[in-house]
Amino acid sequence: MISHRSFGARGAVAIALVTAIVGACTPSVSPGSSGASAAPSAPSSVGPSGSVASGSPVDATSLTVGLGYIPSVQFAPFYLAQQAGYYAAEGLTVTFQNEIDANLVPKVGQGAVDLGLSDGTSVIPAVSQGIPLRYLATVYRQFPSIVFGKASSGIKTAADLKGKKIGIPGRYGSSWIMLQALLASAKLTTDDVTIVEYPDFGQGAAVAQGAVDAATGFVNNEPIQLQRSGTKVFILRIDNVTPLPGPGLIASTATVASKHDAIAGFVRATLRAMEDVAADPAKGVDAAVAVEPTLGQDRDLQTAILTATIDAWQGSGGAELGTIDRTSWQKSLDFMTSLGLVPNPVTVDDLVTEEFVPGS
Amino acid sequence: MSRAAVGSVVASFAVFIVAWKLVVLVSGYPVFILPSPELVGARFVKAWTDGTIEPHALATLVEIGLGFALGAISGLLVGYALARSRRVERIISPYVVAAQATPILALAPLLSLWFGPGLLSKVVICSLIVFFPIAISSMVGVRSVDQGLLELARSLRATRRQVLTTLEIPGALPSIFGGLRVGVTLAVVGAIVGEWAGADRGLGVLVNLARGSLFDIPLMFATLATIALIGIALYSIVVFAERRLVGVR
Repeated sequence: MISHRSFGARGAVAIALVTAIVGACTPSVSPGSSGASAAPSAPSSVGPSGSVASGSPVDATSLTVGLGYIPSVQFAPFYLAQQAGYYAAEGLTVTFQNEIDANLVPKVGQGAVDLGLSDGTSVIPAVSQGIPLRYLATVYRQFPSIVFGKASSGIKTAADLKGKKIGIPGRYGSSWIMLQALLASAKLTTDDVTIVEYPDFGQGAAVAQGAVDAATGFVNNEPIQLQRSGTKVFILRIDNVTPLPGPGLIASTATVASKHDAIAGFVRATLRAMEDVAADPAKGVDAAVAVEPTLGQDRDLQTAILTATIDAWQGSGGAELGTIDRTSWQKSLDFMTSLGLVPNPVTVDDLVTEEFVPGS
Repeated sequence: MSRAAVGSVVASFAVFIVAWKLVVLVSGYPVFILPSPELVGARFVKAWTDGTIEPHALATLVEIGLGFALGAISGLLVGYALARSRRVERIISPYVVAAQATPILALAPLLSLWFGPGLLSKVVICSLIVFFPIAISSMVGVRSVDQGLLELARSLRATRRQVLTTLEIPGALPSIFGGLRVGVTLAVVGAIVGEWAGADRGLGVLVNLARGSLFDIPLMFATLATIALIGIALYSIVVFAERRLVGVR
């Protein structure tokens, strides 16, 4: 029988051993290692992440960037900037990773990933929960998450959604918050509609088959697929109601401090590539196909997706690419606070930094 | 439970908490990566008192209860059939094994599509994951009944029902309860997996919400603690029933 004394001694030794092992195995949490980010696209095909750019191996600063769930033509500027040597010209060696938003945001906050793509609906609650992030530059000026459906449904405004069946991937994330904001603009709540969940992101097919009257999706994905099948669609955008900050570049405050010049170079190179892609979308499709060859099986589709993506980058109003709209951030913060998603108060200054964008 | 047993349970829990705290201190992980035990404890209490966890826990408990009942009953019946008929075993055991070998995470979205996003799909997913260990333990238990006693019963012209109720069930109970112990903990897993395949309520939903939308990692840990406590409670109920019906082993 084990005596209490020997059990206590053995227990103390076990704890000390566990502590030593954990201490030895704990990686150094220094800002800037590798990264991935969230992208506003539904899953399609899986492929390899972007390759490492060539640059001076001695002088180049390494950055790891998270680009969302899977390689996609939407990330064309990043691929082009790497392939055209824009990152190398800034003295950067960039590695891309693919990760969903829920995993990416904490990794960026911890510094395990240098940069990521995320929108205000993630950044605001994350910062409120103490994750030390900053939004550095806008990529999507228009919020890409939308409500869409067949034009034959007769739905033209948010008020027309009352009593309708709406397909969603789940009661979480940017699309869920967007839907609530859209319904609120017509003085509706989610209790005024019938929510049908499609956790496999099959809400587009559900609309096509008439299983639901409308669904949440992304302006550069599901509506394009429907239109290509010959179906006229309607699109309801939140931008017309409450501006929500679209996906943009994020980094931890520690990474911003320790890799400031590298981040500035990355933002410059990325915005340059965005301008190139906007001027010539075919360049963007070529860059994406170079990363994920299966995207080349339907170049017309990828071009349509990229064209819609470019429209979402540019939005209306003619603001320069990358600039941050503090007013929309404040409105978004107020709305998410009203939903109870901001447990600890934050200000716009806690969320964004404009030191890397043009004109700052 | 004796005082010594209670003391050892409390002591082992204390060691676990101390080890967790030491890991947090030594690793330096921020709260949103690994919160400290006291932070999780405070969040656990708050989430229960402000009503955050309760509706989700009730939804999951209903799924577990119905899923376990369906899986256990079907497992017992199939296990008995497998034990009593070699022909039945030859025919259906490959399908039983295939169902177990197929990852439930891959099947869950399909089941959610076929049976809808409501309670039914969760119960089916849960029962599928519970079925196999109970079916196999039942089969093994029934086959382990002393053949000499069975022959004696037949020689005394015992009816099928008498053989079942006086020999086979009592003889197989220890093995069956072994399967029930495993099955009840798997029922918790099955309910969570079913919720991940599509649900608007449940502890699995709350885990995803806490992690992916709210970035409230202490809440995620508090929810995981709730799931663990449910598993421990249900396992204890099965052990209690086993001790009443079989005795202490």
